Amino acid sequence: MNRRLQNNSEYLEVTIIAHKEGQDLPTKFKYKKRNEKEKPMALDVLLQAQENQLPDLAFRYGCRARNCGVCTIDINGKPRIACRAVVRDGDELKAMSTLPVITDLIVRRDQISRQLKGKIYEGGRKNDLNVEASEDYHELTSCIECYACLDNCPMHEKNFSEIKNDQDYFQWGNPFSLLKLQTIATDPVSTVVRREAAVSAALELGLETCLDCPGCKCGVGIDLKGKVIKPLLQNSKLVD
Amino acid sequence: MNIDLEWRNFDVLVIGSGGAGTNAAETAAKAGASVLLVAKDPLSASDTKISEGIATVRASGSEDDSEEALSENLKIAGSDLPVEEITSAFAKDSQTAYDKYRENGLRPEISSITKGPNSLPLPMGGHTRRRSVGHKNSGLAFGHANWNAIVKENKIEYLEDCWVIDLVTSEYDDGGRKVEGAIIYDAQKGKLLAICAPSVVMAAGGLSTLYFPKTDTMRGNTGDSYAIAARAGAELVDMEQTQFLPFCLTSPPSFEGLLGGEPVTASYLGVLRDKNKKVILDGVYLRTRAECSAAIMKAVEDGRGTPNGGAYLDMRANKRAPKSGTYFMKFLQNSLPSAYNNVRQAMNKKEAQCDELWEVRPSAHYMMGGIRVDENGQSIAGKKSNNGVRGLYAAGQAMGGLFGANRLGSTSLTEGAVFGSRAGFAAALYSRNFNKNKLNKDLFLKEAYKLNNLLGQMGTKHASQLKILVQKECWNNLGPIRDKKRLKKTQQFISQCRKELKKVQIGKNLLWNQSLIEYLELVNMIDTAELMTHAALERDGSVGGHVRADCKDLSIFSKPYSTVVKVRKSHIEVSKIDRKRTELKKLVEFKFKEQKRFLEAKLLRLLPMKFKDAIIEKRYKKIMGSKEKAPPLEPGSIEAAVGDQKVL
Ligand SMILES: Cc1cc2nc3c(=O)[nH]c(=O)nc-3n(C[C@H](O)[C@H](O)[C@H](O)COP(=O)(O)OP(=O)(O)OC[C@H]3O[C@@H](n4cnc5c(N)ncnc54)[C@H](O)[C@@H]3O)c2cc1C
Ligand code: SF4
Ligand code: SF4
Ligand code: FES
Repeated sequence: MNRRLQNNSEYLEVTIIAHKEGQDLPTKFKYKKRNEKEKPMALDVLLQAQENQLPDLAFRYGCRARNCGVCTIDINGKPRIACRAVVRDGDELKAMSTLPVITDLIVRRDQISRQLKGKIYEGGRKNDLNVEASEDYHELTSCIECYACLDNCPMHEKNFSEIKNDQDYFQWGNPFSLLKLQTIATDPVSTVVRREAAVSAALELGLETCLDCPGCKCGVGIDLKGKVIKPLLQNSKLVD
Repeated sequence: MNIDLEWRNFDVLVIGSGGAGTNAAETAAKAGASVLLVAKDPLSASDTKISEGIATVRASGSEDDSEEALSENLKIAGSDLPVEEITSAFAKDSQTAYDKYRENGLRPEISSITKGPNSLPLPMGGHTRRRSVGHKNSGLAFGHANWNAIVKENKIEYLEDCWVIDLVTSEYDDGGRKVEGAIIYDAQKGKLLAICAPSVVMAAGGLSTLYFPKTDTMRGNTGDSYAIAARAGAELVDMEQTQFLPFCLTSPPSFEGLLGGEPVTASYLGVLRDKNKKVILDGVYLRTRAECSAAIMKAVEDGRGTPNGGAYLDMRANKRAPKSGTYFMKFLQNSLPSAYNNVRQAMNKKEAQCDELWEVRPSAHYMMGGIRVDENGQSIAGKKSNNGVRGLYAAGQAMGGLFGANRLGSTSLTEGAVFGSRAGFAAALYSRNFNKNKLNKDLFLKEAYKLNNLLGQMGTKHASQLKILVQKECWNNLGPIRDKKRLKKTQQFISQCRKELKKVQIGKNLLWNQSLIEYLELVNMIDTAELMTHAALERDGSVGGHVRADCKDLSIFSKPYSTVVKVRKSHIEVSKIDRKRTELKKLVEFKFKEQKRFLEAKLLRLLPMKFKDAIIEKRYKKIMGSKEKAPPLEPGSIEAAVGDQKVL
């Protein structure tokens, strides 16, 4: 009964957990619906909060249409793409737990791309380029780089548990980085050398961790287990 | 007060990691320059990444597609405002520039005939040839290619979460200005950077956020390119030429501003209605975007707007036609898949099926004007196109001169690659003339102190909230329809707003200080809006994306000119530069074809249903071919609004 009443009310109450200097600062925020039927997304709530109550609230967004991949936050502890995640009464919005928080809902992202610096090798030229890529290649390049797949990844967790990591880049890998490497492996233009280099880069990032992991999940539905992890494990001879 | 400044030296500083910035950085590095690429968004997150991913590649569809044909196509489409040297450069480089995206992983379909990238099946409206190549995963495919280009190189340094605040310039021997570098706010690390570089490539995108939430572009389009370049002394051209897409969504909030349809997808029988359901524009599919937008905004102004300040797009007649009706829905769904996807999610079933009316409203999409440059992206100035700010280059949406009053479809992604590469190369060459160690420290310190003084500013106002007021003002008075009175009002608003800046509260910490970020972007928005009002007042007639309700349309036979704006010490200087008119013969031919099309459309509407239906069915069949699949259209392109096209 309560649920129905709440759904029809003018307001929706959520908790926004801001973050300053190492401290979590929860604030209750009442989102005013523009009409009774409105089912706001998390980003709508954050924008209204910034307009009415928390003018300096920091959060990332860009396209508002699940394309740019920068707006990911945790809702009730799970990573969600804020511009397309419907919020419910009582939800808790917080920075992604899998990356270092800078301020409020902003996490540092570039330690991921930097772990591949210099490891993505150059493709072909001119006429060599006139070949079509496979469906698998196109599935992998539908990744929006939202980092939702970092959630529960034991390999990525090692960055925080096993070593003191204050470098510019993460030492241990994650599903996104493996996806980028596997993209090279499925690129029709890649030479054998380039493919092999991609696989050894995956091994360096800790691919063996995937052997005893139930597998990762993608925020936009890419088959990471089947199209990334499995072929990488096979090509690296970690399994046959 | 002591400032914690980090000093770094580079040959070339590139601002922005979209298509233009990435290509500039890659090319400059290949030419041997040391390069720093900075962006305020995460690496490669940009308009380029969220685009429809359709790119112009000359001769991808037909052998007779000469450089002259493409260049002329751009020029006439832009109402003769585009600069010939720039359109020629675009035509010359489109293939090699596109291949740079391919070298970094962009993989199009390959044509069995040409053995090269497969162009879309139809010679799309505004283009005189088939030359637009579509891609799986749309802009994401370009986003990945750009990401790869930067990450693969050990030579390019990159920093994200970095806001370029201002360029540092010094006086040149002849009294002009020259670039020394830039002051950058690194929000992620919480510090200020003094980047010394003789060349800077400005590729920081557009200004559509001036109209948020009435826009379909990225949040970061706060006019930084234009404001920063203008403050450094650069000239801007055609700053009144904003491209609005007329049929965007009005609600719910999460979809507000996103694309719903284009004039062409309203199809042969679509009309616009006001809140009383009275027709305010018919023959919509032949209209220009500006005409559609103006009709909507006119109704709103007269109090006949829909609840969310728009109009109704009525496509029911298309569907009701017994035979052609079945083709219509397929046409709608296939020609703009992403837009239709927005509609499906945002509207109810009956609306999505076009059995009910769509509430629509214009959204800002693209700025056709920009930093005044030559064909190598170098800033130029004055009647004789002399040197502008030396060492300043621009590419992508930041630059002006390629599109003039209208953008030919699928050209922006190619624009980024063509002029990104050209600017990157020219910037690298230019930087060789300079001794890196000769540094004018005081100039940097002066800029840095300005910023330092802002930290901890006390006040009662919040920049994020002032931004919303600026956005409302721009929408109301600098939007899809303008007149002198409104533009003057905006100028008053802006000077008022500048006074408020002193009352804005700004936090004192440097680590991701959102209040500072909002403030910096607010200033850029105000500066850009002001420059736009001057250009819009100077252009006292409607042409392309600029609609003046208080003036006549500028005839295509009149002498074409571009507006130029420039920041002086105490005022903004406005001038005109003449552009070359296309041969009279070609223009007459165009006018004739346009009149013919309007007449045909009118006759079609007046025919009895039986005949009309049969004719329309035949047309759909022709467009969709045997697969009954309409080729995709690019939002904002000329083919998505045939009324905007100048060549058939
Ligand atoms: C929905 C949509 C669909 C489109 N479809 C197509 C299409 O199919 N075909 C086509 O050709 N064009 C299309 N366009 C247009 C095209 O995408 C853009 O015009 C083009 O990508 C612009 O590229 P750019 O490199 O100039 O700028 P952007 O790609 O916008 O990059 C701007 C960069 O500058 C950075 N930046 C901004 N300000 C600062 C600052 N102060 N300091 C540091 N960094 C800064 C940003 O973080 C970003 O990295 C579309 C646009 C949209 C919005
Ligand atoms: S399969 Fe590998 S990459 Fe995926 S979650 Fe497990 S450890 Fe991480
Ligand atoms: S693989 Fe999926 S979840 Fe991971 S970053 Fe890419 S889109 Fe997001
Ligand atoms: S804002 Fe771009 S994915 Fe959410």
